[in-house]
Amino acid sequence: MHRELILTEQPIDERAWVASRPGGVTHGAVVTFSGVVRGSEHGQPIAGLEYTSFEAMARHQFGLLLDRMAMQWPVESVRLVHRLGPVPAGGVSLWVEVLAPHRAEAFAACQMLIDEMKRVVPIWKRVMPATVGG
Amino acid sequence: MNLCIRVHFWSYYREMTGTALAEVEVPEGASVADVVSAVHERWPALVPLRASTLMAVGVDYAEGSQTVRAGDEVSLFPPVQGG
Repeated sequence: MHRELILTEQPIDERAWVASRPGGVTHGAVVTFSGVVRGSEHGQPIAGLEYTSFEAMARHQFGLLLDRMAMQWPVESVRLVHRLGPVPAGGVSLWVEVLAPHRAEAFAACQMLIDEMKRVVPIWKRVMPATVGG
Repeated sequence: MNLCIRVHFWSYYREMTGTALAEVEVPEGASVADVVSAVHERWPALVPLRASTLMAVGVDYAEGSQTVRAGDEVSLFPPVQGG
């Protein structure tokens, strides 16, 4: 299974990632997911979210999840990009792409990866308050 | 003989303790839970968060019952929130 994991403080260029999709004729399904920072938290407007990570452990835990994915489904490729640092409201904080022979396993694998990431990968977010009058 | 264990704090636990890294002494044969107890003695503000605190040794999650060894690095942090 091809795998790429990027933790970055740079903006996620979704078009560039889509354009660099691995080639091949064996995958019949491509599932992509983009997580976008909402402009409010608990009903209050926010400027964005700031992400921090215990990066060595995050990479290790992502690796374990990808191992699990490879055992469970015939996934051919998974690429995951997660932002660190400040991300403004409306910005993409997470981008995931899963390639598999059929849609059922592509959807299931993508869902598992994101659900489990939120449970075990040490990344945290802090609200950046909206500036007064901004 | 006592072990000196390095403890890393992550996320808002850093603000609560005022540090990213501390060292605590525990007896040889001590567990991760013993390390956490030593941390709680020094930073009682973390005690109410005990039930939700996640613990790791190195880059793997750890149970409180896991024995710590010389050179182990313990991490304590709140529930994760990626995505």
